[in-house]
Amino acid sequence: MKNSPLLGKFRKPDGEPHMLGAMQRLTGSMRKYSEQDEVDYVVVGVGAGGGVLTQRLSRAGFRVVAFDAGPFWDTERDWVSDESGSHKLYWTQKRVTGGTHPLAFGSNNSGQGVGGSTVHWASFTPRLHPSDFQIHTLDGVGVDWPISYSDLKPYYELMELELPVSGPAYFPWGDPHGYAFGPHPMGGVGNALIKGCTNLGIEVSAGGPVAILEGSRADRPHCIYRGFCIQGCKVGAKASTLITHVPDAIRSGAEIRANCMVARVNLGRDGRVRGVTYFDEEGREHTQKARAVVISGYSIETPRLLLNSACPGFENGLANSSDCVGRYLMAQAGNVVLGRFGEPVRMYKAPPAHALTEAFYETDPKRDFARGFAVQTVGPLPIAFAKQMMVAKGAWGWGLRRVMMDYNHWAGFGFLGEILPHAENRVQLADETDGFGLPVAKVTFGLGDNDKKLTDFGVKKTMEIMSAAGAEEVVQEQRYAHLVGAARMGKDPRTSVVDQFGRTHDIPNLFICDGSIMPTQGSANPGLTIMALAARIADYLITQGADIFTSNERSDRISAIRRELAPPDTWGHGMPRIEAPVQPVSS
Amino acid sequence: MEAQRTDDDPRPIDPNTGKPIGPLAQPGYYQGYRTLDQRKFWDAKTREVVLERVHKVPQFRYFDDRQAALLTAICERVLPQADRDADHKIPIAPQIDKRLYEDRHDGYRYEEMPPDREAFPMALRAIDDMAQAHYGRGFLELRMSEQDELLRSLHDGKPIAGHDVWERMPPHRFWLLLVQDCAEAYYAHPWAWDEIGFGGPAYPRAYMRLERGEPEPWEKEEKRYEWAPPPGSQSGRYEPVGGQSEHHATPGQGGTH
Amino acid sequence: MTRDLLETGESLPPADDAATLKRDAEMADLHIREGRFQRWLALAAGLSSVLSGLEVSYEHYKGSYSRPVMYTPVILSGTLALAGVAGFFSRRSANTLLPAVSAITLADSVIGFYFHVQGIRRKPGGWRLPVVNIVMGPPIFAPLLFGTSAYLGLVASFLRRGDDGGDVVPRSASKAHWAASLSGMHETIDAGQDLREGRFQQHMVAATILASFLSGFEAAYSHYKNNFRYGVQWTPLIVSPMLMAAGVAALKSKRAAHTVLPAVSALAMLNGSIGFGYHVRGIFRRPGGSKKLLYNIIYGPPVFAPLLFAASGFLGVLASLLRREE
Ligand SMILES: Cc1cc2nc3c(=O)[nH]c(=O)nc-3n(C[C@H](O)[C@H](O)[C@H](O)COP(=O)(O)OP(=O)(O)OC[C@H]3O[C@@H](n4cnc5c(N)ncnc54)[C@H](O)[C@@H]3O)c2cc1C
Ligand code: SF4
Repeated sequence: MKNSPLLGKFRKPDGEPHMLGAMQRLTGSMRKYSEQDEVDYVVVGVGAGGGVLTQRLSRAGFRVVAFDAGPFWDTERDWVSDESGSHKLYWTQKRVTGGTHPLAFGSNNSGQGVGGSTVHWASFTPRLHPSDFQIHTLDGVGVDWPISYSDLKPYYELMELELPVSGPAYFPWGDPHGYAFGPHPMGGVGNALIKGCTNLGIEVSAGGPVAILEGSRADRPHCIYRGFCIQGCKVGAKASTLITHVPDAIRSGAEIRANCMVARVNLGRDGRVRGVTYFDEEGREHTQKARAVVISGYSIETPRLLLNSACPGFENGLANSSDCVGRYLMAQAGNVVLGRFGEPVRMYKAPPAHALTEAFYETDPKRDFARGFAVQTVGPLPIAFAKQMMVAKGAWGWGLRRVMMDYNHWAGFGFLGEILPHAENRVQLADETDGFGLPVAKVTFGLGDNDKKLTDFGVKKTMEIMSAAGAEEVVQEQRYAHLVGAARMGKDPRTSVVDQFGRTHDIPNLFICDGSIMPTQGSANPGLTIMALAARIADYLITQGADIFTSNERSDRISAIRRELAPPDTWGHGMPRIEAPVQPVSS
Repeated sequence: MEAQRTDDDPRPIDPNTGKPIGPLAQPGYYQGYRTLDQRKFWDAKTREVVLERVHKVPQFRYFDDRQAALLTAICERVLPQADRDADHKIPIAPQIDKRLYEDRHDGYRYEEMPPDREAFPMALRAIDDMAQAHYGRGFLELRMSEQDELLRSLHDGKPIAGHDVWERMPPHRFWLLLVQDCAEAYYAHPWAWDEIGFGGPAYPRAYMRLERGEPEPWEKEEKRYEWAPPPGSQSGRYEPVGGQSEHHATPGQGGTH
Repeated sequence: MTRDLLETGESLPPADDAATLKRDAEMADLHIREGRFQRWLALAAGLSSVLSGLEVSYEHYKGSYSRPVMYTPVILSGTLALAGVAGFFSRRSANTLLPAVSAITLADSVIGFYFHVQGIRRKPGGWRLPVVNIVMGPPIFAPLLFGTSAYLGLVASFLRRGDDGGDVVPRSASKAHWAASLSGMHETIDAGQDLREGRFQQHMVAATILASFLSGFEAAYSHYKNNFRYGVQWTPLIVSPMLMAAGVAALKSKRAAHTVLPAVSALAMLNGSIGFGYHVRGIFRRPGGSKKLLYNIIYGPPVFAPLLFAASGFLGVLASLLRREE
């Protein structure tokens, strides 16, 4: 045991099958469509939304080609258990950022490659609260969703089984519910959060909800607590659509066309889209015909693609008669609060995501702002921590060396505050272009009054919790996380881009299925909501069947939830769980 | 190795005796801890990537000799390594060169910033010019304390000598880019992991002692010693990065949750 | 005198308290020596099954019951507990229900052992990383320890009850007994006879050695996981080999079986009880303490594990009271 593994070295990456996690092999072949084939659906982007949707549509028998600008990862060969070596997981093509509170991207925001951002998400998977769907009615801020919590609830429940989500048997906030998969053990940071919260009498959820296996399931082993979730989970314990939904999509006949960047969605004379133009790995241009197109490219690339697809009749961008494409972009205030403890913590162990509190989630009339926030564990590795110290303490030189030598004494909490939608926060096209000659996205972001008050209050509270946990020194850095919005859904075509089923108001066979359609964001991490929305959109498309391809009529008919479309591994695991009836939202 | 120290001795000191510390093979509180000894327990791909980082120091290809020397000197102030012996210095400037040569960036730039590939050469010239203007010597000829003073003025967002470059490029933005790049190169290195007691790659072998900061059987307990930055240096204090009006607020750069 | 007691116990005149106590103790001793403790052993099997059932239910909860088979020990431990209690009250249950449930549980624990070994193999690195994967994988010997109460139940089913009367060879017991009717094998009957008459000391000693090894091993790696933060965490690692050694001695020598074995066994029981106290304390001292009680029971020091360790001492004590095989 001392200096080498017992039975020889670990597997050489050559000559082995395509691996998705430590156990799952991708066997069998993938269906290939030719460009001349008019497929049923083209899906642009295989991330949280696109991954689930592609799996659903192909399981229901549609012919689907799903594009992703990045690679189809082999987790053994491509990923590393190393911070600096994981840059390729992020969307590192050019973007320009500005505004009064510019957002940072790169490792901080979106992904590239099959699985999208779920490859490197921390995988906190709380649901939105029922109140999130009607903040305009309740609090007079933002907008209401065109759907309510109860529309999404069955999809939340199903997604929690598909990923699956581990968490406590009773989760008290929002619509109280339990998880079918047990909670995780605590690392040093989780212990600090629990201690800080309980000392202040704040309720706290230990061990989830997080989309990480706590017991092994089918061909996925359970978490080994290595703390590299944000670098991609080589183990396969953390859910990403790459390992949870894409394999089933391929088995059901979908083609995943990786390393292909979609440049434009093509509009026909009849006002219906007819496919996409894309660049392959070598930079050659192709087109793919399709009877309908779904864009799932993340809140920056989705509006960028629509804007880049401007054409006669849609000079301001495809499906942009409302001038809402790119607008109402949101990010959550994601400040990181760091505390130094006398005793070592070693926060690199255990998944960064393993405890949280939503005790401050709802509007409290005693505060001078609407809406609220959550506090979660984070576990920055050394490079991320050094950057945090650079901002939070202004550390450099010997000061940086010194604070870094204390790395093992620090613990980090992530603040997650709701920022309201503002029309001026938007994605536009910049003057410069990327390697394909496509104009890149320019993102403008700033905070409103409510946002600032909420952040100030919440960060202070988070720092209080850190002190109550016993930290001797507490600092914080400003940060934003989780971009959503920029192609929002709504009932009114004049103020929104898509309807409740992701169907663009302007073009009957063009859909959007990712975080961009969220009208507001709450203070829950968005991933689970995006996936639940995707499953619901899929049910709608399947209910509508061929009408989508042939008819311009809009129908709101949607079948009851189709549980049979879940990947087969979903069933036969986990425990019965506590379910509460949907609570009426009190104002 | 103990030389007579002068004010310009770049090594940190023992605050009790005033004697310089180092150069050492391994500074930090985890003497004898070596992540690289654990490489047999890493997966093949990770081993390949980390070992290449250790054994293949990139050549300068983006910067010319003069720029490379300047950048190296600046990096030595931004992330000083005077306490490390010659065999255990972690290459920083060559990694920055490599990144720019390969045109790798973080996926975005601030609208008021030029692309990274232009920002660095611009800033290098400006720093050297500032040194000439303020001290009458090039940056490389400055004493350690002067170099620190100059760089600190960028950190504070108030360059000690005006330069038109800083009108086209907010100094604090470049400063953060620079510090971030240095940190990225230094703390990606296994020797830095040894220094700070980080466990390093952890697949397929996992961690098992998750709580209370207990070390794994192959990790070491911390053994602290006192040290202070060299008296001539200005980087030991913690002061907020200046120049951040609300309209130029700088968000955190790392992904967490 | 003892024989008298046994036969005329009912009609003895009432004595003072000390005498009663002494008489009761002698009676119990005698009952055990003679294998007349079916009721009590059945009850012990049932109660210990409650403990291991609680333990396995939260341990498997940690594993999210990700395989349906993980429910089986939870169900079986409940059933065994009922069967144990039933065996206490009813001879019939003790001779039919109890052994049946015990046998199934024992089989389940062997199957569980297989699954746990597989679970370790499935972990990244598998058996090439035995230390980490044993520590962090499914507890390898826990299923076998879970079988302890089933084993007790099985033994109990062979025994006689305290009120069985004086006949050394029960009426046609060999035929009546389920094992005999099942197998019809003479060896079984002979062994059964030994058991019935309390002549199975060596057998019980062997069980003690095994249980002590298994629970000592579990203690070793879970305390190793904890970095032996408290000195007292070493004690089960010392006591467990001592008990095993005492067991080996007792296998060879009758004397050892009556001297060292009970002494060390008592020590193990004491150690387990103290450990139980520490584990309970540990749970309350975790972050959140009593406010996160359920979570802390699940992820704190395994609260019943020291009691299972104590159970191996209990087996030893029991063994020392028995007669040796002929
Ligand atoms: C560090 C980090 C931690 C996070 N932690 C959490 C968390 O704990 N919980 C949570 O819920 N969320 C978390 N998130 C956010 C979450 O991952 C995203 O919100 C979510 O994945 C977004 O889903 P999406 O479908 O909108 O886009 P993505 O998942 O990003 O998918 C978009 C895909 O589209 C592809 N694409 C884009 N444009 C094109 C094009 N033109 N042609 C072809 N392909 C294209 C991209 O390559 C990408 O693969 C985290 C994010 C980060 C960065
Ligand atoms: S901590 Fe767990 S989920 Fe995260 S990367 Fe490691 S094994 Fe995967």
